[in-house]
Parts: sequence; C-alpha cells; structure tokens
Amino acid sequence: MPDAGSRTASIGLEGGRAVTARPTAGAPRSVRATAARIAGDWLPAVPLLILAVLLLVLPTAVVVLQSFRGETGGITLANWAETLSRKSDRRAIATSLELGALVGTISLLIGAPLAWAISRALPAARTAWLSLLNVGANFGGIGLAFAYTAVLGTYGMVTLALQRLGLPFTPPPSTSFTGLAMAYFYTNIPLFILLTLPAMHTVRDDWMEAAEVCSATRFQFWRHVGIPILTPFLLAGWVLIFTWTVGIYGLAYALAGSAPAAPVRLMTLQIGIALNQSANGQQRAAVMAAILLIIATVSLVTYRIILRRATRWFS
Amino acid sequence: MVFVGRLGRGALFAALAIYLLLPLSAVLLSSFATTWTANPLPDGYTLASWGEALANPRLQAAVARTFGLAAAVLVLDILLVVPAVYWQRVRNPRIRVVTELCAAIPFVLPFIVIAFGILKLTGFAIPSLLGTPPLLLLGHAAIAFPFLYWSVDGAMAAANVVKLNEAAQMCGATPLQTLRHIIVPNIGPGLATGGMLVFATSFGEFALVQVLVGARFENVSLYSLDLLTRTSADFGTLAVLTVLTFIVLFVISTGVVWSNRGKRGTAVAGARAMTAEKDA
Repeated sequence: MPDAGSRTASIGLEGGRAVTARPTAGAPRSVRATAARIAGDWLPAVPLLILAVLLLVLPTAVVVLQSFRGETGGITLANWAETLSRKSDRRAIATSLELGALVGTISLLIGAPLAWAISRALPAARTAWLSLLNVGANFGGIGLAFAYTAVLGTYGMVTLALQRLGLPFTPPPSTSFTGLAMAYFYTNIPLFILLTLPAMHTVRDDWMEAAEVCSATRFQFWRHVGIPILTPFLLAGWVLIFTWTVGIYGLAYALAGSAPAAPVRLMTLQIGIALNQSANGQQRAAVMAAILLIIATVSLVTYRIILRRATRWFS
Repeated sequence: MVFVGRLGRGALFAALAIYLLLPLSAVLLSSFATTWTANPLPDGYTLASWGEALANPRLQAAVARTFGLAAAVLVLDILLVVPAVYWQRVRNPRIRVVTELCAAIPFVLPFIVIAFGILKLTGFAIPSLLGTPPLLLLGHAAIAFPFLYWSVDGAMAAANVVKLNEAAQMCGATPLQTLRHIIVPNIGPGLATGGMLVFATSFGEFALVQVLVGARFENVSLYSLDLLTRTSADFGTLAVLTVLTFIVLFVISTGVVWSNRGKRGTAVAGARAMTAEKDA
C-alpha cells in the first residue's frame, strides 16, 4: 500500500498545523505538561491500540517465543529441529506451499483473462458478473465443505449425474490434495478476479487504439504494453491468493481435518489438530505457527514492493 | 492472453455461471430433498427440512449467538476505530504508523495462528478468561477492525475531515462534539461498508471460535461442522443452515458493493492498493 503511505505524508503536513501550534520547542516544560501533551496526542487512539497490541501483536510474539520454549521452560531450538526433521510435519509444510502455489497459479491463469473481459463488459453484464463472483467469494468455510459433499461426494449431484451417463466416475475424496484444491479454487478464482478487476482499468482503451493506429497487432499490443503494465498487479494478486490459501483453516478442517488418519497434512491443520485433539504436540504447533508468520511477513513485504513498482507509473 | 469474441464471452460466462452456481444449487436442492442417493436430482421434494430446522432450538440458539456476537463486535469496533482514525487525521499522524502495522496482521496472518497466540497469551495472563464469550468478542473485534479502519480512513479522506475539523473548532466545538455532530454524519458510506465487512467477518469466522471457546459457545460454524462430521450427519438441517448463512453473507456483500457504487475501488476490502488510479 505504498500510495497510502504517500497520501499519509501529505495528510501529515496538512494535519501538522495543530502540531506546530504547540508551545515553542526549547521552552522549559514541566513533566506534567509533557504528559498532558502526550495524552492529548494519543488518548482517543489508546483503546484501539490496546486491543490491537493485546490481541494481535502480543499473541504473535507469544507464538514465536513458544516455538523456542522447551518442555520444561528455557530457550531451545529443539522444537524447530524436531518439527523440521519430522516427516509428517515436513510434508505438511510442503503440501501447504504446493497448494498455495497451485491455487494462486490457476487463479491467475483463469482469473486474469476473465477479469479483463469483465472490465470491458457493458454495465449490465458487469453487474451480472460481479454478483456471480460474489456468490463464489462468499461461499466458503464449512458451508463450502458441505457443498463439496453435495456435488462431488459419493452421492453428490455431479457424481450421480456422471455415473448415470455410464461414466466410471469416482470423485476425488474431500480429504485428498485434489479435493482440497478443487474446493479452494471455488472461492479463490472469484476472489482473484475481484482483486485484480480495478487494476484492469490501468490499461486504457486509448492505448489500444493508439497501438492499432500504429498498425500493431493485438499480440504486439499485449506483448509490449498490456502485459508489462498488468504483470505487477497480477503478481500481487498471486501473492495474496497464495498467502490466503496457505492460511485457510475452516474449509480444510471441515474437508480433511476430522478424518482419523488424514491423508493430507497442512500447516494450519497440524496446528488445529494439536490444539483440539491432544495436549502434546503444542510446541510443534508453535513452530508451524511461527513458519506461517514468516510466510505472512515475506508475502506482505513482497506484496508491497510489487505494488510500489506497479503504481510508480501512475503517481 | 487470448482475446475472446462476443460468442466466446457468452460461453465463458455460461461456464463460469454453471461452475459458481452448481454447488449452491446442490445445497439448495438438498435442503428441499426427501431422499437423494440414486438420481442426479432429488427423488422428491419437501419442506420438512426447513420446518424442522427452523423449529430446532439448537439451530435457533446458534443463529442467535452468531448474530449477537457479530453485532457486539460491530459496535465495539466502531467505538474503537472511529475516534482513533479521527485523531490520527486531525491531530497526531504518528498514530498511523502503529495502526497500519496492526491492521496488516489479520490481513496476512492466518486466523488460526492468531487464535493460537491468543489462547497461549490468555493462558499465561488471565486463565479465567479462557473459553468465555468476552474473549471471543475481543478476538473478533481485533481481527475484523482493519476492514472498518480502511473504509473509515478512506471516507474521512474523502470528506476532508481536516477542514471540517478546523471549521468546527473555530466555532468552539470540542473534539467530542465535532466527532459526533460533524465527522460521523459525513462518513456514513464508509461506516456502512466497513461495518458490514466487520459483521461478515465475525459471522463467518471459524478458527477463533473453535480454538478459543469451542462447544461452550456453539455458533453457526461450529454447529455446521458438527452436523457435517458427526456419524449420524443431518444433511437436511445442514443444508438449511448453509443456505441461511450464505444468504446473510451474500446480502451483506451486495450491500457493500451497492454502498460503494460509482467508486472504482477494489471489491475486496483490504486490497485497496490494487487500484492504481486511486490518487490520480
């Protein structure tokens, strides 16, 4: 959100009038006056900051500390070593990342052309598209897990229909990688389109006309103008979908979490299962949570860098 | 990128429509189905599931808890966020450094990680709070606040609160009076958009509910999970509950789109930077 930052700076200057109106610097001020000034500067924001620190910042810190805490206290790397050497946990990390990359990539490949088509649609068609996408983006969690069963379960609608046609169709089980990926596509492709839709307007129609006047082909236009402009936005969308996919919990838990020997392991599921089903394994869950924190941080920084590049053209 | 013609566009739209509507239709049909195990469509139709589900006290309680919690989270977030954003705009821009950082946490960090952290922290600090609805209320308020924060912040920029505030102060208004009588009436659409997103976040959230309170506060998502996974699964009731949840969330998001109409912003909250021409 780099442009938000630059906007902040300009607003800071405008709002700075109140700040410069304070007693001239250097004049002797009592401690009480300083305290009153600080209170005056911060007080209305204090309740929100307390909430955010107590329920977002500190818990995040606790997770990291917990991952370095031994069974009997003290600081240790044993949890990390154990988690990273365990086959099931390593598989969970790999599967989560693969799933994130797969869902991000498919969303990009299907979503980007659709987003372009929608951005150029007539208002009425656009409204219809948006409502449809809203259906996908809002149908998630446990409800979507149930819908998966209703469509692709043993007695699912599509399963029964295909078998009726005489096709030897066995649906992918909801606990499999394929099953999870198919359920994830359902919300994430619409989400990707909604995310990148505004960016599609950065490619102006006049540019296409200009290219056409210069007798450039459609391909040349996309190759030299359209895709270079859109790439950062699409990459930013990919990063967000990747990050959100890796972090999905409710849907994954409903699809695969309750199976006794879940064939698919995910980072979020390992945490959830450790918290719900057993007292031990919480140290390793903390390591998983810390890894997710690292992924989230890297994603956020990447997202911001990409978008700063993307919006550099337009400031 | 393939350029699709009019016909291609129509086919694309039809394919997407089928893909997106199929799961929903399956759920809707199964809420009206008598039995459905052999044919592509239900064997018969009945309103029995709806009647039973709506008269089911457990379902009623779960829906009431979910609505109550979401409403409480909404009120709490409005009370916390609006004064903070107002102050960071008119008085102390440095507040923004902290609030922006905090708002980024729920944006990228999985809720299950936040839930885990809150569980551990509460366990160390105030164990008596564990498993209680107030803890869940605070947790939901924390993970949902960024949606309100971003839209209120945008609305205050659009309403030029700095100028409004100066004018109000010239007339001798106190900050509280300014906030109540000048600022809030001018950021209506932003409050509505952000508020609906806060409500929807709490309404559909699962990780915090499961980890922090569990069955002691059975809301819609926990009840749905139970209906889905227990051995004697009750798909009729689950279908009704899923349809109801979907309707609530769909209405909210349509409301968000509607209250943002005319603005060429992003349709997904939190990713506002995806719009390049915002500052143009």
